[in-house]
Amino acid sequence: MSFGDWIGQLENWIFAILAVGTLSGAFLVVHSRNVIHSALGLVLTLGSSAGLFLMLGAEFVAWTLVMVYIGAVIVLFLFGIMITRAPLGYESDLSHPMSVKVTAAIVSGSMFALIGWAFLDAFGSVEFPVAEGPTRTADIGISMFTNYVIPFEVMSFLLLAALVGGIVLARQDPEEVDE
Amino acid sequence: MNFDYHALLPEIILASTVMLVLVTDLLPVKKYWAAVVGIIGTSAALVPLLTLTFCDSLDFCEATGARSMFSGTYVVDSFSLVLKGLFLVVALVVLLMSIGYLEGGRFWQGEYYFLLLASVLGAVVMASSRDFISMFVGLELVTGPTFLMAGWRKGDDRSNEAALKYFIIGVISAAILLFGISLVYGVTGQLRFADVAAAIAVRGESPLLTIGVIFTILGFAFKVSAAPFHFWTPDTYEGAPTPVTAYLAVGSKAAGFVGLLTVAYVAFGSTRGLWAGLIWVLAATSMTLGNVVALKQTNIVRMLGYSSIAQGGFMLVPFGALAGADVTPDMLQKAFFATVTYVLIYAAMNLGAFATIIAISNRIKSGEIRALAGLGVYAPGLAGLLAIFFFSLAGIPPVAGWFAKLAMFNSAIGSGSGWGLALAIIAALNAVVAFAYYGKIVKSAWFDAVPDDVSDAMKADTKVAPSLMLALGITFVGTIAFGVFPSLVTGLSEFASSLSSGL
Repeated sequence: MSFGDWIGQLENWIFAILAVGTLSGAFLVVHSRNVIHSALGLVLTLGSSAGLFLMLGAEFVAWTLVMVYIGAVIVLFLFGIMITRAPLGYESDLSHPMSVKVTAAIVSGSMFALIGWAFLDAFGSVEFPVAEGPTRTADIGISMFTNYVIPFEVMSFLLLAALVGGIVLARQDPEEVDE
Repeated sequence: MNFDYHALLPEIILASTVMLVLVTDLLPVKKYWAAVVGIIGTSAALVPLLTLTFCDSLDFCEATGARSMFSGTYVVDSFSLVLKGLFLVVALVVLLMSIGYLEGGRFWQGEYYFLLLASVLGAVVMASSRDFISMFVGLELVTGPTFLMAGWRKGDDRSNEAALKYFIIGVISAAILLFGISLVYGVTGQLRFADVAAAIAVRGESPLLTIGVIFTILGFAFKVSAAPFHFWTPDTYEGAPTPVTAYLAVGSKAAGFVGLLTVAYVAFGSTRGLWAGLIWVLAATSMTLGNVVALKQTNIVRMLGYSSIAQGGFMLVPFGALAGADVTPDMLQKAFFATVTYVLIYAAMNLGAFATIIAISNRIKSGEIRALAGLGVYAPGLAGLLAIFFFSLAGIPPVAGWFAKLAMFNSAIGSGSGWGLALAIIAALNAVVAFAYYGKIVKSAWFDAVPDDVSDAMKADTKVAPSLMLALGITFVGTIAFGVFPSLVTGLSEFASSLSSGL
C-alpha cells in the first residue's frame, strides 16, 4: 500500500492522531519537572490508548482504561500529591546527571530497536482479519465467571489483602498489652 | 458447569480460614486465637490433599487421575498435590514461628495472620495453575501481602526500607513477567500452557517468541531472587521481621520455583534451547555471588539471605544443565525430580535455620554472628540445632541437605553435555565455599569464648515459646528424616515429577 492510499483513509487519520496523543503524553510524563503536569500527561496517554483500543473493537478494555485508570488512578495520584503536601511547581532535583541520561537513552533505544525489529519480523507481512463488530462485554463477563473464576476469586483476595494491609500500615501501632 | 468440589476443597478450606482469621480478630479474645484458627484451618486443608492422593483406595472417592477443571486452566495432579502440601506445611511452621515473635512486640496480629494465609492461598492456587492468567494472578497474591508484611515493624527504618525495596523490585518484576507473557500470547495466541506448547511446536521459534520467553523467565528469576536480580534480597531479609523473612526465603521462593517449573517444562518445554542457556548463567552467578558474599557477612539473617540466593542457584542447576544437551524424556524427568527434591528439602532445613535464629536472638537480643560465640556453653540445645540445620544447608550427611545436592549433581552430570558438566563443577566449588561460612558459625558457637555483652540473665533464660518449640520440632524431624531416609522425599518428588513425563 502506498503512502497516498494510506493517508486517504479516514481511520488512518484517527489512528495517527491517537498515536501522536499517546506518544506526546508519555513524553510529557517523563520529561515534565512538574508532578501535576506528569499526571496530566498520563491522562492524555491513557485516553489516547483507550481510543486505540476502541478502534480495535475492544470496547471493554477501552472503557476500563477510562474508568479505572483515568477516573480512579490518576485522581488518586492527584489526591496523593495533595495530601502528602508535595511541593507543587517546578522541581529542580528531579533531573539526573548526563551520564545516567545517556545510559538510559542507549538502553531504552536498543530495547526499542530490538523489540520493534522482532515485531516486524513476526507480524510485518501478516494481514490480520478485521473483527466483525466490537467484542461483546457480556462474553468477557461469561468467561470471567466460568473458565477464569479462580483468578477472579484470587484477585478478590488480593484486593482485600491490599485493603487490610494498607490500613495497618497507615494506622498507629497498637498499645502495649498489659499482662 | 460442574465443579469438582473435592479437588477444590483445599483451596475452599484455606480461603474460608483466611476469612475466619479476619473475623476472629474482631472478637473480644486474645489476639493469638487468630493464629490458632489459622493453624486449625491450614491443618484441615491438608486432609483433602491426603484423600485426593489416596483416592484410588478410598470408597467414597471417584478416582479420575489428574483432575482438569475450567477447560484445563486449573489442574489437580500429583505435582500440585505435593507442592500444595509443602505450602500448607510451610504456612503452619511460619504461623508457629510468628506467634511468639508478634506477642513480644507492638504488632497488629490478626491482620498479620490474615495476610500470611492469603499469601499461602496464592501459592496453593499457583501449584494448580496451568495457564498464564491463573499463574500470574496467583503469583501476585503470593507477593502482594508479603510487601506489607516485610514492613510490619513500622517504627523501624530498616523494615520500611525492606518493604519499599521489595515492593518496587516486585512491581518491576511483575511488569517484566507480564510483558513476556503478553509477547508469548501475541505470538502463539494461547494462554493455556499445553496450547502454548502446541502452538510453538507448530509455528517454530521466532525472535519475538525468544524475547517473550526470556522476559517471562527473567520475571520469575526476580521472584526466586536469582543473581543478578537478587539485590533486593539481603536488605529485605535483614529488615523484615524474621518470621516474614523465613516465609520469603522458603514459601515465596518455592512459589517462584513452582511457576518456573510449570512454565519452563510445560509451556516452553519444546523450546528448551531458549531458556536452558539463560538459566545456566543465572544458576552459575547466583551460586557464586551468593556464596562469596555470604562469607563476609556479620549479620546472621543477612548471611542467610545470601545463602538463600546461593541455594536458589543450586535449585536452578538442573534446568541450566539441559543447555546444549541432547535431551531425552528420561533426562527431563531427572532434572525436574532434582529441583522438586531440592525445594522440599530446602524448605525443611531453611525454616529450621530461621526458627533457630529466632530462638537464639530472643535470648541474646542480637542478630550479629559475633554474638553467637560460645552458644554451646550456655545453650547446648540451640547450638546443636544450629549445627544440624547449618550442616544440612552445607550438604553434609546424614542430615537432609546432602541428598538434595546429590540429586542436583546427578541430574547435572547425567545431562552428558559439556555445559552440564561445567555447571556441576561450579556447583561443587560453591558447595565447598558454602561449607566455609556455615562451618565457621557452627565452630564459633561451639568453641569460641562467650562475648562480654551476653549477660548472665540471658544465659540463664532457657525459655523458648511452646509454639516456636513445635516449629523447631517439625523442621528438625523433617531435616533428620529426609536425610536418613531419602526414600521419603524421593517418594514425594517422584510422585510430583509426573508433570514432566508428558513432554
